Amino acid sequence: MQVGILALILAVAPAALAGRQTQGVPSKPSSAAAGAVEAAEPAQTVPKPVALSAEQIGSLRKTIAKFRDDPETVKLPADADIAMGGLTVPAETQMNGPVAAAGGPLHVFGTVNGDAIAIGADVIVHAGGRVTGNAVAALGRVTLEGGTVDGEMKHLAGAIGPVTTPAPVRESPISATRHAVALSGSWLVILLLIGIGVLVFARSYLDGVTESLEGRFGRSFWAGIATQLALAPALALLVVALAVTVIGLLLVPFAIVAFVLALAGLITLGFLAVARITGESVAPAAASRYPARGAALRALVIGVTLYMGLWVAASAFAWAPVVEMVLRGVAVAITWVAATAGLGAAILSRGGTRRATETFAAVPAVNDLPWQTPTPVTGVVAARRPTPTSSSRER
Amino acid sequence: MTTSRWTSLASAIAAAVASGAPLALAAQSWRTIDVARQLVDSAPAAANIVYGTGTFGLRGTTSPLLYHMQLRYDAERSQPRHTYDSDKRRLEIGVQKSDVRFTGRKEGESKLQVELARSAPFDLSLNLGAVEADLDLTGLRLTRLRLEVGASEARLRFDSLNATHMQNLEVSLGAASFRASRLANANAPTIRVEAGVGNVELDMGGQWTSDIDLRVEVALGVVTIHVPPEVGIRATVEKVIASFDHEGLVQRGSEWVSANYDSAPRKLRISAKTTLGKLTIDRTGR
Repeated sequence: MQVGILALILAVAPAALAGRQTQGVPSKPSSAAAGAVEAAEPAQTVPKPVALSAEQIGSLRKTIAKFRDDPETVKLPADADIAMGGLTVPAETQMNGPVAAAGGPLHVFGTVNGDAIAIGADVIVHAGGRVTGNAVAALGRVTLEGGTVDGEMKHLAGAIGPVTTPAPVRESPISATRHAVALSGSWLVILLLIGIGVLVFARSYLDGVTESLEGRFGRSFWAGIATQLALAPALALLVVALAVTVIGLLLVPFAIVAFVLALAGLITLGFLAVARITGESVAPAAASRYPARGAALRALVIGVTLYMGLWVAASAFAWAPVVEMVLRGVAVAITWVAATAGLGAAILSRGGTRRATETFAAVPAVNDLPWQTPTPVTGVVAARRPTPTSSSRER
Repeated sequence: MTTSRWTSLASAIAAAVASGAPLALAAQSWRTIDVARQLVDSAPAAANIVYGTGTFGLRGTTSPLLYHMQLRYDAERSQPRHTYDSDKRRLEIGVQKSDVRFTGRKEGESKLQVELARSAPFDLSLNLGAVEADLDLTGLRLTRLRLEVGASEARLRFDSLNATHMQNLEVSLGAASFRASRLANANAPTIRVEAGVGNVELDMGGQWTSDIDLRVEVALGVVTIHVPPEVGIRATVEKVIASFDHEGLVQRGSEWVSANYDSAPRKLRISAKTTLGKLTIDRTGR
């Protein structure tokens, strides 16, 4: 459309120039000149309007209609009062605005009491000419050749017309449900893939967190809450510590990213541990049927499916907002508890590197048999009763 | 799981991933508006420029125009703002509203270029958001300058002396990189710079018409103040976990002064507060 308008402007330009070069030919008063309140004999060259074809005029009418709806438009005269092919306001002549021309330049030698507007053309205010309002050119320019414009000189380029703000697409209930289920289902798949990856490549860490969590759920949960409360101060402390030194200041962005990544890793590891324990509790596997790795994978899949299943179930009720909200609230609460406990366990176990049962498992068994007999059969005196050494306990 | 179910699952995942695409691919309606007003006299005027996102440039013009604004904008998320109250002589230009949306596409960048008359005194107020700003105030007659910048990279310069006495120069920065060149040419006895986080560089070069009080408050960042060697310096620094590079200054009581402070024809009194970071006073005259 704009290419067409540009072609139109180029097509009419030579004619417009020819019109401006014509000597002593008064412009034929157009319908727009009906608003003239005072006229005098023109004393200078009056450019002739450009002859336009019906097709060009039709195209201009469409552009005018669009300009009427443009946010930057000004009040335009009626279509019949817009001079097609251009208009000249002769010297010592006053016209009441708005005065508009389309497809040809609007020459102002006299005075326009109001706005002077050109569409697909220029507004040219010559010496002695005056526009008391605004001079506006849509897809053209406003040029001062010695004249004055009391108001704004404005020209618009690019798209013109109403601003079409795209209406928000309202999904149907079925589509919304399908979309929500697909989204939560995707997260289920992603978590399962992450869990399998952890089992394959970092099982010892997962085992460490799982052992820390077993039997110490309450402690892990409170540790998780304490960790959540301490996150912001810890991050602030980290930033301050780095900012103390100027070189460290440069590392602040990297430290923040590393902090977030480490936190995400700990939460994921902890959540997977909780899911694994949940899976083992809900559907205990017979030791004879599965190898250790298989049993762990089975428990993990069951646990993750259970937790994420809550989200999938909530998503399945996207067509019923109230039910969905209730189920989503339940899912949020349960997931938060699991993630908090998992985070606490991950912190307590130093990311799974420190085993909770290590202290007791490493204690060598004490042979109590000699002490249970009235007479020591091994010849070891009572004062030398073997006891676990402190180093072996702390290992 | 059957093949069709796998296909459905894959489609669902693809749909989930693609669900964010409409935001990025939403149709944009780029327009250009060029607005100017003829200069009819040289009476003082006030100008308030508001701009959210994009590239912004400001400079003076010798054309017989009070102002000239060229704006390229997305009509779907912003609306040009250009009003002039001829009675109050108050100019409002920029954009009405703008959503901060980073598309990563350079061709879609909005731009605002403003020219103000050099012959008319202006009380200039700039409120910029996430903007890359180049403020060339050379030749402008500014009676007051207030610059508020959000998260941006801003450069400000006075390459020649402000022909009007500037009552106040205030700069307020959020998280920004700010560099001001030849600030003495602002012809302002008081300069105040406040910054949240960022890098602030102030060049006090230019033509000194009076002593200058410079107040700098930076929460977290690096502040560098370049001062011509012939200017005497007296600095009061309040810092918390921050370093202060005071080469060439000696401590006198609670203040730091340059050796030529008492004899210097022009004096710069610095009051600096910084919490984290570094404050440097450079007297190499660059």
